[in-house]
Amino acid sequence: MSTDSLTETPSNESEQDEVGYKSEINLLERATQTLHRLSSAVKAQVLGRDDVIEMAIIALIADGHVLLEDFPGSGKTTLAKALGEAIVVEPSDKESPIAAFRRIQFTPDLLPSDVTGVPIFDSNSNAFHFRHGPLFAHVVLADEINRTSPKVQSAMLEAMGEKQVTVDNVTYPLDDLFFVIATQNPLDLVGTYPLPTPQLDRFLFKLTMDHIDRDAELEVLNTLKQRKQDGNKITISRHDVLEARKIIEESVFVSDAVKTALVDTSRNLRTDERVLQGNSTRSIVLMLPALQVSAALRGRSFVSAEDIELLLPKVLGHRIELAPGVSDMNKILRDNMQEPMEQLARGTLG
Amino acid sequence: MNNDVQSSAQGLVPTSLRALIIGFSYWIVSISLTVLSGSMAAFGGCLVACLLSDMLLTREPMNRLRTTSLLALCIGIFFSGVLLAQLLVNTPALAAFFSPVVAFNIAEAVKWSAAAFALSAALRLLAYRTSVGAVIEILFVAGAFVVTLAAHRNGMIHRPFFIGDFALTRGIDPSTILLAFGCLAVVSLSALLMVEQHYRRLPYHFAVLGLLCLSLIGYVRLFGLPTPQMTDDLGLTGNGQNGGAGQDQNPFRDSENTADDKQAPVAVVVFRDDYEPVNGSYYFRESAYSQFNGTMLDFPNRADMDIDLIKNFSSGRIDTQQLPDARDQRTPVRTTVGTLVAHRSPFGLSSPIAYESTPNPNDLRFKRTYDAYSLAPEYDFDFLLGRETGRSDWSEDLVQQYLELPDDPRYRQLATELTSNLRPEFTNDPYAKAWAIKTYLDENGIYSLKNDHAYETDPAASFLFGDLTGYCMHFSFAATYLYRSLGIPARVGIGYSVPATNRGGGSSLLIQAINGHAWPEIYFKDIGWVIVDPAPQQTLVDMTTDPQNELQQLLGDMLRDEASFDDYLETRQDSLIDFKTVLNTLYTLLAVMLLSSYLVKTYRQWAPSYSKPQNQHRLIYRAALDLLSAVGIHRNYGESREQFATRASSASPSMQVLTAKHLEIALGSTETKNLSKQQWQHLKSAIALELRQSVSAGRRTWALLNPLTWLWSK
Repeated sequence: MSTDSLTETPSNESEQDEVGYKSEINLLERATQTLHRLSSAVKAQVLGRDDVIEMAIIALIADGHVLLEDFPGSGKTTLAKALGEAIVVEPSDKESPIAAFRRIQFTPDLLPSDVTGVPIFDSNSNAFHFRHGPLFAHVVLADEINRTSPKVQSAMLEAMGEKQVTVDNVTYPLDDLFFVIATQNPLDLVGTYPLPTPQLDRFLFKLTMDHIDRDAELEVLNTLKQRKQDGNKITISRHDVLEARKIIEESVFVSDAVKTALVDTSRNLRTDERVLQGNSTRSIVLMLPALQVSAALRGRSFVSAEDIELLLPKVLGHRIELAPGVSDMNKILRDNMQEPMEQLARGTLG
Repeated sequence: MNNDVQSSAQGLVPTSLRALIIGFSYWIVSISLTVLSGSMAAFGGCLVACLLSDMLLTREPMNRLRTTSLLALCIGIFFSGVLLAQLLVNTPALAAFFSPVVAFNIAEAVKWSAAAFALSAALRLLAYRTSVGAVIEILFVAGAFVVTLAAHRNGMIHRPFFIGDFALTRGIDPSTILLAFGCLAVVSLSALLMVEQHYRRLPYHFAVLGLLCLSLIGYVRLFGLPTPQMTDDLGLTGNGQNGGAGQDQNPFRDSENTADDKQAPVAVVVFRDDYEPVNGSYYFRESAYSQFNGTMLDFPNRADMDIDLIKNFSSGRIDTQQLPDARDQRTPVRTTVGTLVAHRSPFGLSSPIAYESTPNPNDLRFKRTYDAYSLAPEYDFDFLLGRETGRSDWSEDLVQQYLELPDDPRYRQLATELTSNLRPEFTNDPYAKAWAIKTYLDENGIYSLKNDHAYETDPAASFLFGDLTGYCMHFSFAATYLYRSLGIPARVGIGYSVPATNRGGGSSLLIQAINGHAWPEIYFKDIGWVIVDPAPQQTLVDMTTDPQNELQQLLGDMLRDEASFDDYLETRQDSLIDFKTVLNTLYTLLAVMLLSSYLVKTYRQWAPSYSKPQNQHRLIYRAALDLLSAVGIHRNYGESREQFATRASSASPSMQVLTAKHLEIALGSTETKNLSKQQWQHLKSAIALELRQSVSAGRRTWALLNPLTWLWSK
């Protein structure tokens, strides 16, 4: 994915704009720069995974979560850690219990309190103090989420959905940036508790990772020492990230034609006889901010077909239940997208 | 061919369409070769073969068998079918059981279905297994239609009857219909071939081929079919109608004489009066070789010779200057002649006395139509005996002209020898002498189109004193010289001679190329020119022709009575769609479509210059799309504008810039800043420039000429 070449052309164009033409554009440019800095920070640590990094950043900014389907040792921890550590907390917030990055290895004997935290009796103050669990972080890596019991899964998913944790009837808010990268191994299914479709709905994207290519793999080995030494050189403040989120939400324009294409694709999917259950309305509601971020990443101030093509399979892929015997999800999505996308393209000519 | 190529042509519709087209071509070919049951069986056999091979060739066990063994199987099927048919016909028991006609019909059906099955299965097999097979198949189908059409080009417009009748009753040349069929078949089959290779481009190719075919038919409608160049038999038809060059030509070298086009109809004659020729043949005289020019007989250049002949066509009525005598022994016959190929001079039933041109009922079919008034002879052999020759008002000089012959004593020697055995009462009778000479030639001459005499100084002498092998020109010249050597005024008449049996009881008579003839004739006092025509008993040429009764009648009906035929057509047409109008409408529609396409194409390029700035992003972008589309770069269905721009960027990098800007205005918020009109124009010219640099000149020329390129830009 060569995001550089894509962003180059419009930025050349924007040079033609008169200075101070619109402050919103400048704000948007700043947000885009934030995203690019974030992505280069992660890319410095994780090699050959540019596409996943981009999706992770889109999900992070769009306030969603990511489910990764891949194999052990493919660099997802590095990715989550790099992402978490690239975001630094302002000095004023130093006392906050929120960590940059936490990793939870899900096992069958895990309990909900291991994830959320637990009230502990403090004999000094003679009161219960809540000890924050690993969910209180900017970036949480939920490794092998399908290996734990449904009870833990539901606690996890409540946190993801509500951005809060309730323990003993006390609700503790999570950070605004709370972002989960959950993983599951698509092949090793023995002794797992597969996530049901409604729960999968909590994830904005489900990404399938392939092994990285040969050159990137060699590069991983060559630069191992260097990367360990360097650590995270580039950092972005939490405030900047939250501001970028706000700017993008406000200033990236989603035209009616784009919304029509989304709705039409959903409607097509629901009537396709190969599909048992189509995607929810929530899925396209959640997709809008993601589309906006994708547009901003490409330096655009509007959502275009390109963004839909990139995100739609990742957003809808895990939200649709196929009829028995049907397996080719990508083809079904492509088939049902084709006509609305054609309408979207034609619509630009008036 | 690989597997996915095969599977794409496996659908039920392509398979059955192809089977139908190939079957149709088998049927067309078989019509003239077999009976109805045979051609139906050929059609059926081909259908079955096509469907079966399309179904089975890709499956077990057929896909394992080698091509050669499958071909051997096809050959086996063919021979067993022929064998079975032989058996059916030759087994007396079967013939007795079914009745011979039924047995024959069954045998034909078996034979043709087996042949069609074997051939089409073999072709289908080759089409599947080899790369040239599909081409062979198309060539076969095209060949089938071309053969039919070629037969038509020789005037057999009635075959197959239902097409000929259908067309003629609507006033259309059947060639158009046959051409349309041929075009349709070839187009469809080529399209099916293309399905196997370029599924996406099929409609485009189809449209182009269809247009080509339509223009071919249009061309034929406007200018007619190229008339086959017939061997200029006896110089009757060649060199146009005025025949200037013919005077200088040696009639013995009239061209390579072949019998290939002998079936070709050259004229049709409708008899208005009842007449049967006494000697079994109708003679139509056009001109005569009568003056000796020093080497041989030629058209006369004296005004007083052959004044009974009319040399040129006229728009009104034209009479001969001299009428034949013996009116009581002649019957006036009016005939209407329609020439199907151009003729040098008018011709009429011997002896013609006047021609009057008539309105041409069908100028697609007839070159010229005229009424010929003749005084046809009814005298017999006896009437001519004891007559004197020559004409009383002929000057001595003129008589001498009709007696001149090559300075070769052998003519007189042979003539005297031949007439020496006449009975005493006939020794001085010119007709008896002529008859003796004719008998000699009848008995000893051999009719052959191939001969060695053409380049002799006197081909007639070479023939007469040589191998006696030649065609009518040799016989007539030799006879004329022999007659003249005995002091009998004679000349060589040129025209057509048609056996009376050809008329077959109807009132119309078809003259075919093979009927072109030259004959000797003698002038008898008080009678006129009398034909004394040698008829060699031995012939090396198959002079028989298939009876063309339907064609004869069809053309005759067309010619006979213009008014009633028109009425008939009108009564038929009332209940029918007027195909001419339909076709004309179609062409007009095409022309209008073509013109409007160009208009639209031009408009879309110029529209941005005259429109408001807020429309520039749409109009400029559309104009740029048109530019790309013209050089063959189209956005695919469902492809996004960005993807397309990326794809097009190899030919025009600026397209990406334009696309980004276009989308920004189209999909962005209304507050997005628009470019100025000049900037938009600048982007478009950048694309045009880049395309000029990256696209070949040929492609650009085609882009300029093709009126429909904008249809694909979306």
